[in-house]
Amino acid sequence: MKKTNFKILQDRTWLLSIVIFLLLVFALSRFFYLQIIEGRNLKVQREANINTFEYIYPKRGRIISSDGYVLAEDIKSYSIAVDLEEKPSVSSIDLLVKIYPERLTRSYVEESIKLSIKGVSQEVLIDGLNQAGISKFLVRNGELAGFSVIEKYNRSYVDHPSMFHVLGHLGYVNNSDINFFRTRIDNFKPNIWQLVGKSGIERVYEAKLQGVHGKKFFNRNARGNRKVLIDEESFKEGEEVVLSINYEAQSKAFDLLGNRKGSIVVLDLKNFSIPVSVSTPSISANDLKGISTVGYKALLDDSSRPLFNRAFMGLYPPGSTIKPILTIFAISNNLTNWTETIDDDGFFRFEEENRVFNAWKEGGHGITNLRKAIVESSNPFFMNLATRYDKDKLTAFFTDIFFDKTICIDCYPQLFSPLIDDVWKQKNFGSNIFKGDIINIGIGQGYLLTSPLHLALMAGIIAKKGEYNIPFLIQQNEPLEETKKINTNISDDDWSRIHEAMIGVVYSKNGTGYRINPGELKLAGKSGTSQLKKFTSREEYEEIRENPDLRDHAIFIGFAPYDDPRYAISVLVENGESGGAVAGPIAKEVLLELINAD
Amino acid sequence: MLININNFLLALSLFFIVVIGSITVYSVTSIDLNYFFRFLTISVFSIILVSTFFYFVNFNRIISIGWIIFLLNILLIISVEFFGKEINGSKRWLDFGFLSLQPSEFLKITFAIFVIQYLRYFDFKFTVIRSVLLLAILVASALPIIIQPDLGTGIVFIAFGLLLLFICGLKFKYFFILALSFLVLSPVIYSYGLSDYQKGRILNWFSSEDTLAESWNILQSKISIGSGELLGEGFLGSKQNEFNFLPEADTDFIFSIYAEQFGFLGVALILILLGIFIFSGLSGFRQKNILADDYSAYYLGIYFLLVITFSFLINIFMVSGLIPVVGLPLPFFTKGGSSLLCFSIMLGFIFSAKTYLKT
Repeated sequence: MKKTNFKILQDRTWLLSIVIFLLLVFALSRFFYLQIIEGRNLKVQREANINTFEYIYPKRGRIISSDGYVLAEDIKSYSIAVDLEEKPSVSSIDLLVKIYPERLTRSYVEESIKLSIKGVSQEVLIDGLNQAGISKFLVRNGELAGFSVIEKYNRSYVDHPSMFHVLGHLGYVNNSDINFFRTRIDNFKPNIWQLVGKSGIERVYEAKLQGVHGKKFFNRNARGNRKVLIDEESFKEGEEVVLSINYEAQSKAFDLLGNRKGSIVVLDLKNFSIPVSVSTPSISANDLKGISTVGYKALLDDSSRPLFNRAFMGLYPPGSTIKPILTIFAISNNLTNWTETIDDDGFFRFEEENRVFNAWKEGGHGITNLRKAIVESSNPFFMNLATRYDKDKLTAFFTDIFFDKTICIDCYPQLFSPLIDDVWKQKNFGSNIFKGDIINIGIGQGYLLTSPLHLALMAGIIAKKGEYNIPFLIQQNEPLEETKKINTNISDDDWSRIHEAMIGVVYSKNGTGYRINPGELKLAGKSGTSQLKKFTSREEYEEIRENPDLRDHAIFIGFAPYDDPRYAISVLVENGESGGAVAGPIAKEVLLELINAD
Repeated sequence: MLININNFLLALSLFFIVVIGSITVYSVTSIDLNYFFRFLTISVFSIILVSTFFYFVNFNRIISIGWIIFLLNILLIISVEFFGKEINGSKRWLDFGFLSLQPSEFLKITFAIFVIQYLRYFDFKFTVIRSVLLLAILVASALPIIIQPDLGTGIVFIAFGLLLLFICGLKFKYFFILALSFLVLSPVIYSYGLSDYQKGRILNWFSSEDTLAESWNILQSKISIGSGELLGEGFLGSKQNEFNFLPEADTDFIFSIYAEQFGFLGVALILILLGIFIFSGLSGFRQKNILADDYSAYYLGIYFLLVITFSFLINIFMVSGLIPVVGLPLPFFTKGGSSLLCFSIMLGFIFSAKTYLKT
């Protein structure tokens, strides 16, 4: 029997009902799977979608001088930026331009808004506003919809240029910073830290100064132009670093050098900390903020090298200032004593190599013993003495007094004074050390090079009769825990005689430092000049007189008070010519400042 | 008799679906309460108004002008090519100022009226010629939609057309032949008939990789649904919507937002309501009417019930990642004049078809 239309309709409706029922069950199980079985996982994915955070840059620790001056600190500054959530209205753009007419133009604001929308980034309109600057914005905040205020910290330094080389400066992290810090700081995060110390204290104490970033937790939308703050974890301010630098003395030392190139380093002999470390010329790190490429290049190309820290990096022949130091070596090795004399006629004839060395004083010093040789700075005496130096023993001695060694724990960057031995000379000149080389070294010329910091340390070692500590730049009130001593076997009497000779330099009429006239300061010292150009003719002499850059460097090392040494000093004045007359008086002023401050 | 248990359940389930739909649309699109009432009022009123209209209009009259309505609809679809509004790269809408309509949406209705008119004339007897002719008209009328380009709507239209012919009694062998020829021709259609965008959608459905841009929507939809877990995040608690991670949250993917807010229990509730809706609806067409031997109204009523139900199911299969995204609106959830008007007309037919037979 043929099915009626109605029967067909009924049958097929039944079939479809079953299909729909199955589909409903299927749909239900699908949602059961997604929501009950996979629900937790999918929710985690949703949280990953919407949760985001931003770092809050911590306030960097302050740097304080030992006499309480704030040398570097973070100061809050404000920026005004385009708000991402709300497009600024025409009236609020007009108002903003009206408030800051000197910083903004209408077209600039409009262009920034376009960029902001296009790149979904907060374009900064005005940067580096202080409290007064931003308050102009904040009082009319209600009418300035579409703009927002961003707070951040800016590093601010003392304006006086004396501190730049010690403090260093900040800069954006680059590859060399990453290499430098990765091995030194456990939790170094190059992509988060952004600004790091490039030199000086800022670099060495980066981990301490940096602080810990805070976090702002947001819910964000898919485009990234809407953020809802849900939680905030505040930052931890960086620790304060107190320096051993005495800012009053430091700035005075800087001013004493004036417009001359040079360096002054003072050690506090209580613990060998550094109360003064100056290099001229210099700048203030504030001058580097927002500097143009051209301006920065000009600083780098400046022939006076203001960015170069002469105190830690400058290597100069120590000249005659090496004489008291080599006296330690000579006596320690029984190569001379305080009674031996030579006849100094102004020349030293080195028969082995058939050479004649001119001394600085025409006619010579006459009959000269060790004390006189130090006081009057006799070259022939020390050259003659140098002929007896054993190459290997000398190398050992130099190693002992910090050649080719770290001179300061936290001075960065610093150059080591090269250790002049056969290895060094083979590398640089392809031959071993000759006797003649040692004779030149004997009067602090030739290959011998030391940094002003190194000279100060050697002055300190003499002052403390062989005791020393490795210098450092942070405040440390405890005296030396254990005294280290250089490896010599000279008696306390010999030390006193060396001191006495260095007192003589300043106080005897014939002393090279007699003109210092130290007054109330009990100063002992040794002057020196480091020769840049030897002259053998009148013409050459004239040339040097005309060109100041060819004149000798003036050096003075010393300590005070001589009966109970408290400070050791090295002063170097480039092209200053006379250690006694130029560098010495500066040393006196600086030490007086320090001693009077105590 | 309008009030019987079937009609009561049908209306009740429908009412709850519409209320839930309005709540969801409100939660997605606006935090303005007026919007919710407006949507609810528009939905309820248009359903009541249109249903009442068709309730009083003589059913036979509408069916007897079936071919004219169908033809007009086709012409409107073609006119979209010339006067239409372009949205997202395809022209589908005709702008009438106060509302913009998508004529292709209505083809499901007008084609059905035409087919019923045609078959009634032959007392629902299928011959080979009539079968092939109807299938040809079905495919031909889908072409203007497909070239709009709106492949999804076109395919859905063809599927619903086949559903109609199935209800009307088209012999099984035609479905087998169609299925077979589709299988044979599919590589050709894929290579020459589809745009890269459409290929992407299909590829995405087959591959499990998340690299294609298409998969973003599906992934976000699944994340929304899953985040609802058992109880849901609560009303207005959809973070995926709040932070715009789900594109087209107010149209195609609205059910995902519903699932995120009301959880598995909410989904189960909707599916139960849908079950009540379809089965109470269908059981109304179970009795044989002794007075009439014309069942045209039955065919239309059953067909429209199935269209609403299948639209619902296809959409939630789509948002839960079971089938490719075809852009099919979710009945009574998707805010959109055309689809709301469409479903209202269908409901009008469903209610009047029942009463038509009762007289």
